[in-house]
Amino acid sequence: FAQTKTISGIISDQNGVPLEKATIKAKGGQRYATSDANGQFRLAIPQNTSVLEISYVGMKPMDVSIEGKQSVLVTLNVTESKLNEVVVIGYGTARRSDVSTAVSSIKAKDLKDLPVAGIDQALQGKVAGVSITNNSGQPGGGVSIRVRGITSVNGNEPLYVIDGVPILSNTKSIAHDQLGGKAGQVDQSVMATLNPADIASIDILKDASAQAIYGSLAANGVVLITTKRGKSGEGRLTYDVYHGWQSVPKLLPVMNLRQYAEYYNSLVPEIRAAGNSVDTIGELKDPSLLGNGTNWQKELFQTGQIDNHQLAFSGGQAKTTYYFSLNYFNQTGTIIGSKFNRYASRFSIDQQVKSWLKAGISANLSRSNQRITLTDGVETPTAIVLYNSPATPVKGSDGKYITSANFGGTSLGNANGNPIATALLRDVRAVQSKGYGNIYADLQFSKYLSLRNEVNFDYQLNENSAFQPYYLNEATGQAVMAPSKLREDRNTNFYWGLRNYLTYNQSFGKHAVNAVVGHEAQASHWDNKWITVTNLEQNLQSTSAGTVVPAQTSGKKGDWSMESYFARATYTYDNRYSISGSIRRDGASSFGPNNRIGYFSAGSAGWTVTNEKFARDWKFIDYLKLRVGAGSVGNQNSPIQNAYSTNIRLFTVAPFGPGGVPANVGNPDLSWESVTTYNGGVDLSFLKKRVELSVDVYKKITTNMILSIVPPMFLGLDPNPPKNDYKEIEPAVTNAGEMTNTGVDISLTTYNIQRNDFSWKTSIVFSRYKNLLVRLNSPTALLKGAEQDFTQDGSVVNITQAGRAVGSFYGYVTDGLFRDMNELNNGTDWGLAVGPQGVYLGDIRYKDISGPDGKPDNKIGSEDVTFIGDPNPSFTYGITNSFTFKGFDFSFFLQGVQGTRIFNWTRKYTEGMTSIYLNQSTDVISRYTTANPQASIPRYNQWNNNNTRNSDRYIENGSYLRVQNISLGYNFPARWISKAKMANARLYLSAQNVYTFTKYTGYDPEIGSFDKNVLSQNVDNGHYPNPRTITIGANIEF
Amino acid sequence: CKKDFLDHPSENNPTLDTYYNTAAQVQKATGYLYNSVWYDYQDKAFHAIGETLAGNMLTETGPNYGSGSYNLFTVLSTDPLVTSCWRSLYKVAGTATVLINTFQQKKGTATEAGYLDQGIAEARFMRGAAYFTITRSFGDVPIITDPVTIAAAGPHTVPRYLQKDVLQFALEDFRYAEQNLPAIPTEKGRVSKYSAAGMMAKLYLYRKDYDSAKMAAMEVINSGNYDLYPNYEEMFTSSKANNNIESLFALQWIAEGGYGFANPIQVYSSPSTLLKPVVKTGYSSVYPTLDMLAAYDPDDNRRKWSVMEHGFKRADWTNVNFPNGFEYDTTGKVYEDATHFKNGTRSNALKYIVGTGTNGEKLSDNGSSDICTYILRYADVLLIYAEAVLGTSASTADASALDAFNKVHTRGNNFNGVKLTSLTKDIILHERRVEFAFEGDYWFDIQRQGFEKAKAIITAQERGTLSDNGTINHARANFNSPSQLFLPIPQPETVSDPKLNEPPVAYY
Repeated sequence: FAQTKTISGIISDQNGVPLEKATIKAKGGQRYATSDANGQFRLAIPQNTSVLEISYVGMKPMDVSIEGKQSVLVTLNVTESKLNEVVVIGYGTARRSDVSTAVSSIKAKDLKDLPVAGIDQALQGKVAGVSITNNSGQPGGGVSIRVRGITSVNGNEPLYVIDGVPILSNTKSIAHDQLGGKAGQVDQSVMATLNPADIASIDILKDASAQAIYGSLAANGVVLITTKRGKSGEGRLTYDVYHGWQSVPKLLPVMNLRQYAEYYNSLVPEIRAAGNSVDTIGELKDPSLLGNGTNWQKELFQTGQIDNHQLAFSGGQAKTTYYFSLNYFNQTGTIIGSKFNRYASRFSIDQQVKSWLKAGISANLSRSNQRITLTDGVETPTAIVLYNSPATPVKGSDGKYITSANFGGTSLGNANGNPIATALLRDVRAVQSKGYGNIYADLQFSKYLSLRNEVNFDYQLNENSAFQPYYLNEATGQAVMAPSKLREDRNTNFYWGLRNYLTYNQSFGKHAVNAVVGHEAQASHWDNKWITVTNLEQNLQSTSAGTVVPAQTSGKKGDWSMESYFARATYTYDNRYSISGSIRRDGASSFGPNNRIGYFSAGSAGWTVTNEKFARDWKFIDYLKLRVGAGSVGNQNSPIQNAYSTNIRLFTVAPFGPGGVPANVGNPDLSWESVTTYNGGVDLSFLKKRVELSVDVYKKITTNMILSIVPPMFLGLDPNPPKNDYKEIEPAVTNAGEMTNTGVDISLTTYNIQRNDFSWKTSIVFSRYKNLLVRLNSPTALLKGAEQDFTQDGSVVNITQAGRAVGSFYGYVTDGLFRDMNELNNGTDWGLAVGPQGVYLGDIRYKDISGPDGKPDNKIGSEDVTFIGDPNPSFTYGITNSFTFKGFDFSFFLQGVQGTRIFNWTRKYTEGMTSIYLNQSTDVISRYTTANPQASIPRYNQWNNNNTRNSDRYIENGSYLRVQNISLGYNFPARWISKAKMANARLYLSAQNVYTFTKYTGYDPEIGSFDKNVLSQNVDNGHYPNPRTITIGANIEF
Repeated sequence: CKKDFLDHPSENNPTLDTYYNTAAQVQKATGYLYNSVWYDYQDKAFHAIGETLAGNMLTETGPNYGSGSYNLFTVLSTDPLVTSCWRSLYKVAGTATVLINTFQQKKGTATEAGYLDQGIAEARFMRGAAYFTITRSFGDVPIITDPVTIAAAGPHTVPRYLQKDVLQFALEDFRYAEQNLPAIPTEKGRVSKYSAAGMMAKLYLYRKDYDSAKMAAMEVINSGNYDLYPNYEEMFTSSKANNNIESLFALQWIAEGGYGFANPIQVYSSPSTLLKPVVKTGYSSVYPTLDMLAAYDPDDNRRKWSVMEHGFKRADWTNVNFPNGFEYDTTGKVYEDATHFKNGTRSNALKYIVGTGTNGEKLSDNGSSDICTYILRYADVLLIYAEAVLGTSASTADASALDAFNKVHTRGNNFNGVKLTSLTKDIILHERRVEFAFEGDYWFDIQRQGFEKAKAIITAQERGTLSDNGTINHARANFNSPSQLFLPIPQPETVSDPKLNEPPVAYY
């Protein structure tokens, strides 16, 4: 019989509030007690007990030493729990438990160890209902963020608001076609200019009931970014550093020189049999004598390096807090020539000036410098390396670039340019200098009423340039690059916003009211100047060294302004019921006087079931809240400026002198695009808050889309608005159409193990939406994706038409190959005569789907094209497992996309078999020949384009599951690092884009949208694959 | 905020309300119709359709020119040049139509409408020229007179109209222009009433309305305003000859405008030895057929005036490899090196090649030039006249017809001044082939002969190339169906407007 002693104490939370029903247990024993309403307990324990285990739902368990003590005062800390988060909701904050709308939040610590240029990339797979796609592996390249599907056929990028400053400017680089050839992608990342390490938290407003307070800027969702600020207490100095190595995970299997020689030799009799002649090449006659030749892919790709340094100081005295940071980021891409670097600094000071006045200032300065390789299109280096001849060297014997090399009388290689020279000699750059921030004053009139005044500003200078030297190979007498050319753009954009709002916040017993009412005025001015010069003396990269090209030298400027009034009120009763409503009135200069004003309103309600009396005894469920909301938001982005008036386009270069022609057809009634969302959600916590689940279902209806009518070409207006490369007259911009997205967002977090020395947490996000375009401006109207061909419209790949998902693929349906003459001569008109130079054995047979009267007509022609695939995913998901064990932390992050289709245009180059001189994929070795009549790959055909028609031949399953990140970190014990005056030191190793499970045969199934345009999704045409990155880094705090 | 806080009219341009209120504003607007709107047609389709289908030129087998499908008559509706031809010509028509309708509206408010009428006439000329080319390229096609309304209201389902009605539509535009344009254009290079009469003559001839063709051609001839340019070679190799006395209608290109504004022909059709060291172009993507070269009579100097062949020299064209003047040398061992060039027929068209710029010709950064593209020359009017006089007869010895014909035939003492004394359809057709070679027109001459005759002409042509050792690798076109007389409607259009797949209907 052991002796007992009695111990007493008080359990409270970190705010000193007593905790009722906390469990107090003798370590290693059976006895326990629970605390009373005052947090007090008494417990009889064996005499030899030295430690108490104290636990409480929602709090971190704690071991307390009682040696030599009669009583203990214990403060428990809240466990990581979503419910306790402070959520930024726009023009204010709220506790997660009071929020009745759909808002997703993510903290900086959940985004650590990711070697990315911008915060947008880091969010991939982390937030339910938000899909993030890298549109390019280019350092600083474009990233598409879609909040709950595709909102509109217009832009779909959300509004970013950083500490209250809306980031309205975009980031387009100069298109490569300014130097000749094709344009490639020009839309770069908006977020890459910002240092992700300065960010404390991100809140994403997903439904209209949350967004409506941002009115006409919010249609695509709102991403609210809160940056780090100082905290009172001792100063902190943190230093974060990492270095990474980046590589392309995969190369495509194209033939080496021996294989190509065999292929060439085998084609000679095939071509001759079809009635054409072709020369044999002596050098290729005996493949066994040949080496591998040039591996053009290896010449183009390299190991990229990535470096990041971040130094931050923060702290404060009682009434003053400060934070300032410095960041240097430098990345060289996996394609030669591409790179990105950034210098960024940030500072903020907050001062309690008077008991009733708090004021502060923050400012960010950054400068980024991106060099952009030409990708995504025909004739890009990324495409040319796949078909360029392995027989041609990169450089001649004198070390200078060559384009083609001669074999016998035959010239092999891409005569129009050396892809390696293009990638290295062309210098297309986007240099951005950006300063933004705000000044605020908070006036506390009473305990309940405060007024916030803010001045926000954003100044951006984009110095874009595109340069190519004149490069003559003296040995061959031919120019590899000519003429020398330099284009320089200067874009300035100045934004200011003035915002004042009153906040009223009071509780009366069980009633709590929070109300906001405010006014906002904002305006921006942009100014754009560009100059082009050619024939630069000694290839000097200066506009003063060459001759000005008048047609490519000009400028433009413009203004935008908006004035808004807004109000929001939330009423909570007994922490059980809450309702919230908001309204905003926007007036914007985007529209003509007829339709300038728009109203946007929303309402939502929440019921916290577990705060009801009847739920008190629920054992299983710790927390349950139901939410419903509805609201409307708008979009004012017109694809062309001043679309409400018929503008005259002034031209200076014309045969009979300067003049003007109509630029567009004005629509004085042009007005707001409207998005209405209905949202229902459940927040659930169970198993002693070990499991937290949030489910939201929604329907989003977009109407009155601001739509550039896409007319057929025969109307003679611009058939590709608003691109307008060829300066046709723009058809009217109208409000028309309807689109719906229905979907579900699920977010599940489980705290599997939570012990002091070991914890394991799993977060799963799941997003699914179904996008349906109900109608455009007329039942047959359609929108086309970007060109993929040499010409503007020859090859339409993505079509957006009523009744289908946005950007659906479009083409012929294949029906195997012709394998005997009876199949060819069955009476069907195959669109070409039957014969070796027409359609013949081994060619692709297409299905006869329709005819002039809508029925199959035994003729293959334009009526037989149809929808052949949907690039939109069925669902996307992310799974993060994080572990801590003593000083170690480990995380394992999977991310996946299911149900997408990709149009693998690249295979048109690598399996097209249209020219004997082009290299091809190793797959063509097993093509159809008379000796191999059962092949699945068609015959070689240089005589017509039958086999390379856009068809389901090129449609592939784009689903993938990616091991996106594995990271292992170690926190050095305090006793070691304290000698170096460090408060914290962590070393980590991380691997990004480790492995991808996919059936897709291209480089990378993550293709994204061309220039963020939803109408041009998932077409793999000379794409820049996402790199694999191995990173080593350290976080040090003093 | 102040009431005007939200007012930001464009700072970069006037709006329609405040524009087209002066004669200069209207005139400059129609000037726009001579240039960039035609560019995509001129760029490649011009040769692929007018010359390659006709057997005068071969196009390269790369994707730029439809992978050689124009050589073989295997053109599909997805072909890029089918689309760019269609798009560009309808862009000419659409832009002209918008201007016509805009000027019509302005007539309601203008106090003095004369300049608006003239603007309308000039725009209608361009629209007629566009439709005339569209319908000869595609046959039965849509006619659009109010694009803005159709675009806005939708649906965009417009039928195809019978070719005869499209021709009539074009004719009426030309007739209006003929009645309202001045006899002497206000600026050199603009079209006159005789330009319109000449186009009418060409259209009448296409319709086999010989009497009307003759009358319209006579109107031009009798005006005395036009004549043949004495130096045939210079007419096509120097921008100094732009808008010369022979030119009734020409596209006006501007080198300093660069891509989209300048004449790109030499970029594509000249040999790389000429332009590659200068501007990295000169692709020789399109070059004469052996059949075309054989079509020149030994006494016909137009071969050397129109074609570069081995031994061709131009002292005024220099580059880093030819400091003393360019030479066309086909004796190399390989396809191309610095000074030798050896394509499939050892020849390149000389028309619209202005050289490297060393003789003062202006070039854009890719080598495009200032030289105008002739759409209607006086020589054409003369040959139309001769053919119209011949009419349906087997032959003619009509003095006026012979006079018109021989004027062209013996220009610059060609054929040593030896004149023909009797004309047949085939003689005139052959004369047209060599006179207008590489000018984008011969296919339409073959087409108007009808399917049987066209088939006989096309299938007899040698479309092959020379091998390394100089033997001919023979090739023939796959021309076997009347539907091949016209290009297919581009597939992107039939997607937008499924009615285009249906049989054509009458417009009138």
